[in-house]
Amino acid sequence: MPPGATRLLADQSDRTHQIGSKIKCMCNGCDQAAGKCYHVGGAYSGPCDTAKTMLKEIDTHIAAGLNDQQVLDAMIKQYGPLAYVEPPKSGFGLVAWLMPILYLLAGLTLVVVVMKRWRKRPAAIALAAGANGVHVSPELLARARQQAQRETEE
Amino acid sequence: MDVFGSFALILAFVCAVYAFVGGIAAIITRHPLLIKSARQAGIAVCGLIFTATLSLVYLFFTDNYSVAYVVSHSNRDLSTFFKIAALWSGQEGSLLFWSFLLAIYVVSVLLTYRNKNGELMPYVGVILAGVQLFFLTISNFVASPFKVLGVANAVGNFNLVARADGNGLNPVLQYPEMVIHPPNLYSGYTGFTIPFAFALAALLARYPGEKWIHLTRKWTMIAWCFQTMGILLGAHWAYAVLGWGGYWGWDPVENASLLPWLTGTAFLHSVMMQEKRGMMKVWNVWLVFITFMLCILGTLLTRSGVVSSVHAFAQSSIGNWFVGFLCIVMGVCLAAYFKNKDYLKSENQLDSLVSRESSFLFNNLVLLVACVAVLSGTLFPVFSEWFTGSRISVGAPFFNKVNIPLGLMLMFLTGVGPLLAWRKTSTDSMRRNFQVPLSAGLIGGILLFAVGVREMFSLICFTLCIFVTATIVQEFYRGARVVRVRSGASWLASCVDLTLRNTRRYGGYIVHLGMVMIFIGLAGQAFNKEVEKELPIGSTISIGKYDLLLQSMDQKQEKNYVADRMIVEVMKDQKPVMMLYPERRNFPANQESGTMVAIYSTLKEDLYVVYAGMNPQTNLPTVHAFINPLVKWVWWGGMVVVMGTIVALVPNRAAVVVLARAEAPSGVRELSGMRPAQVTLREGHD
Repeated sequence: MPPGATRLLADQSDRTHQIGSKIKCMCNGCDQAAGKCYHVGGAYSGPCDTAKTMLKEIDTHIAAGLNDQQVLDAMIKQYGPLAYVEPPKSGFGLVAWLMPILYLLAGLTLVVVVMKRWRKRPAAIALAAGANGVHVSPELLARARQQAQRETEE
Repeated sequence: MDVFGSFALILAFVCAVYAFVGGIAAIITRHPLLIKSARQAGIAVCGLIFTATLSLVYLFFTDNYSVAYVVSHSNRDLSTFFKIAALWSGQEGSLLFWSFLLAIYVVSVLLTYRNKNGELMPYVGVILAGVQLFFLTISNFVASPFKVLGVANAVGNFNLVARADGNGLNPVLQYPEMVIHPPNLYSGYTGFTIPFAFALAALLARYPGEKWIHLTRKWTMIAWCFQTMGILLGAHWAYAVLGWGGYWGWDPVENASLLPWLTGTAFLHSVMMQEKRGMMKVWNVWLVFITFMLCILGTLLTRSGVVSSVHAFAQSSIGNWFVGFLCIVMGVCLAAYFKNKDYLKSENQLDSLVSRESSFLFNNLVLLVACVAVLSGTLFPVFSEWFTGSRISVGAPFFNKVNIPLGLMLMFLTGVGPLLAWRKTSTDSMRRNFQVPLSAGLIGGILLFAVGVREMFSLICFTLCIFVTATIVQEFYRGARVVRVRSGASWLASCVDLTLRNTRRYGGYIVHLGMVMIFIGLAGQAFNKEVEKELPIGSTISIGKYDLLLQSMDQKQEKNYVADRMIVEVMKDQKPVMMLYPERRNFPANQESGTMVAIYSTLKEDLYVVYAGMNPQTNLPTVHAFINPLVKWVWWGGMVVVMGTIVALVPNRAAVVVLARAEAPSGVRELSGMRPAQVTLREGHD
């Protein structure tokens, strides 16, 4: 992912693209930010018309003297929450951010519980060679042990 | 041929019904002839699916424009090579292609094990027939690829009409990689059916012994290998064709392909717990089940229009079929599990927290958390619509923020795991094992910091990569040293010998090495640069150390498209390095166009040049150039991963040879009688 802003059109400022990369292109064809739209399968790689329109709207907002956050808010108000590139860290969007943390905690708890239970488990019913019903001569077993020792020696 | 194809398809359906119902009857009655006939019906299903698929390919090759699917996805000027790709470029064809690949797996399984695993195979056959039955139902009754074009006449019948030419194949698909990426990815998806069938069959049949887990692991590795290749080829295609400078955009379809890969990876690790220590049986069985269900879910997500995606085919009711199938699969898995839960009883206890076992637990934890996080992120827009009434979209920045830390944890475990012993690791051996890799990682990290690498995540990633590489090198060194002392061979020969003796362990290390390379490539993204400019002919733009001189523009008439080309000379430090020809292709058949990115790729960085189009106002061509550091490492890493997986699939060179060398140098043949010994020696010692 190319980070930071992308200059798409010569007549638009870096600031427009900074903001544009935080707003999703609403063409419904790409999943990219308006400031980064390279419409997949579109006419050619480059901002699609929707992205260009959105960037121009950002220009208008900037010209009206709004600060970055206000421009973002105005764009979200206009296009709805589907225009977020990443969920907002407030309201229901916060759930999206909390989910992975919750999974990790739940998983960790599970691992800890499992480990505790495993440690309490009664001694192993060892998978002794004899248990498989295969007869092994003591000579061969000794040889195998020797080999194992050789291969694991430092 | 369209009638022939649809007849083969309906016959395949009938045979699948027989293989399924007859198979169940065979399991109940245990009548040998019934078992045999169900198996042969299963083989016939595959043969008929092959026939149907080849009929469709034939229709493409012979430009039969009376068939709707051919009209929508091909045209006369399309090269034969891409006519093959047209087979899976739409919904109907790709579902048939899905059945086709599944049939290859099924027929291999049915034939390979026809005289083996007697108690298990009838169950496997029934499960596979069940899955095939589902896809054949779709291909026959919901999305038939053999529908013909027709117009209703006065009597109410249909008159066939044939078009003179087709609409052509989507230009973004007209690239060689599009001919190999989908088959690979689909082979991954379909391949996970086989381990699923073995695991479910073993559970249903209460199949004794560990054989089924070996089979499940082997087939998971095959599917996993294809899935890895498929994902990376898709990424490379996106990189080389779409022209946005990246290769992974966290699109729902990309995410869907990653989900079974993550659970499959988790299984390939935790299965060792079962093989070596008889632990985690329940977990493993469920991992296999979930991997298969995620494959179906992935198809559901991309076909149903539940989430919007650049890959999604036209929305259709087909999603409901997949929901139904998913519910049935889940129901069967749950029923089988609760009925035969005691079959999966664990045999061992955990001896120590600092052990290989616990490192696998954490590995599985991270992989599963990543999987669930990606899944819920992908579905979050749907959740938010349910709860708040409006969709909140979740884009790439979210997935990057969540998955980068998880990826780094995983890389850390990749380094730590192999250094911990099974059961218990003493403080002494910890010190011995960790000393070198840990110091290497730390020194490397400090050096990178000193030369000015300041991006935190990249710096951590590089440090971990050095640590993991040192771990792997140390493992090979220690093993090879022992071999060398005994055989006196060179280091390289000793490493090869060592690898062949325990292909799983050392093949696995090669896979880890490949993953390290991929991670290096991913971390390189933090240093991407780009520039875009309208460029009059004869002028230059600079990016990084390169100057790009637009020498001229030309036009190239090809059979199926017209290409507008930029002729760009690349100069580095005022010296010409090479020529690049970024293109825009216009396809008259469907009035669409596509890009062809020109890339000058080195291990250090890619110079990536896109012809972004002509500005209609100024009539000047626009160049979009990127410097993408270390991208090549991703592709090379992918190749190493695949190589490692293939090594791990090769059977171990028999341990008997080692015994022979130590005890009776010339008696290899005599000792072959001792093969039963291998039954008691657990495979490998990883």
